Amino acid sequence: MEYYPLPQPAEIPEREKEDAMGAYLMMFAAVAIGLPLPIINLIAAIIYYYINRKKSRFIHFHSLQSLLSQIPTTVINWGLVIWSVGILLRENWKLTPEFWGYAIFAGTSTLLYFVFSLIAAYKARQGRMYYFLFFGKVAYEAAYKMVPEKPGESSEPANKPPF
Amino acid sequence: MTFTIKHAEQLSRGELLLRSFFGWLYIFVPHGFVLLFVGLWGGILAFISFWVILFTGRYPQSFFEYQVGLINWEVRLNARLYNMEDGYPAFGINAKDDAVSVEIPYPETLSRGLLLVKLFFGFIYVLIPHGFVLFFLSIAFVVCWFIGWWAILFTGKLPLGFHTFMTGYLRWSTRVRIYIQNMTDTYPPFSLD
Repeated sequence: MEYYPLPQPAEIPEREKEDAMGAYLMMFAAVAIGLPLPIINLIAAIIYYYINRKKSRFIHFHSLQSLLSQIPTTVINWGLVIWSVGILLRENWKLTPEFWGYAIFAGTSTLLYFVFSLIAAYKARQGRMYYFLFFGKVAYEAAYKMVPEKPGESSEPANKPPF
Repeated sequence: MTFTIKHAEQLSRGELLLRSFFGWLYIFVPHGFVLLFVGLWGGILAFISFWVILFTGRYPQSFFEYQVGLINWEVRLNARLYNMEDGYPAFGINAKDDAVSVEIPYPETLSRGLLLVKLFFGFIYVLIPHGFVLFFLSIAFVVCWFIGWWAILFTGKLPLGFHTFMTGYLRWSTRVRIYIQNMTDTYPPFSLD
């Protein structure tokens, strides 16, 4: 399997570094618009990815890694939101130890996600790759893997002159 | 910053009436709907830019260009809603308009200290003094808009003085906006020019 060569920090324009860094900062989107719903960050990351992915492979990699890493955090936090609303409506804020356990788990995951995203944003700003567990590999494959030509699809032009 | 809205030699009376009675339907509603989401995205980028400037001293260039495009779009729309130009305003951040142009030079670096000063004291030294003057100017602006409407209806043109004043008012408020949005470190002058 072949991959496109990775650009080195000095070869990456400043603008690309900033755009790659911006991908991770989408985790603040919900704070920016004042709606503390976990889905807002995910939507912002998806929009950012689709706007920027064609600018360069470096930006493609970082914006996809940011997007993918946001999915589990969003799911975990949605679980907490739904559980909290359920407690509020049915049990009049009677908090169980299970709920506290899940809340601490969700808080820790979000904190870890924030810390790693900030590190990744810093690295991206420096023009460096930074791989998250699992998501880093997936994003690298998507951004840097050379796609083999499909059978019947040739790089030769379909229309040729008569001589 | 350069802010220009060309003075139209001739404005269509038919378009004026159409805009006045149905403009809300075919200009304001579609543009407003799209601008709501485009503006929301602009707000997210502006918030993130604040933190980027705080840590790096630079406004991300792509984010900056987005904000400039957004301002151009809004001015393009306003020029039609205030009857300063004919024609339908183009949709899009990257759209061009022959009559309306706002150019804001990209600042290579921005002061982090000033960023914090704006955050904590911007209300006192920018919004209160400029808001005070702009409030009275906005009354004059509405009067010009109203009289200008009749002038266009009877003469087919917006008097140059009215056009210059209305453009100046929009220029002034845009300068305040870009200063508050951390797109420049230059304090907005108290001037219509």
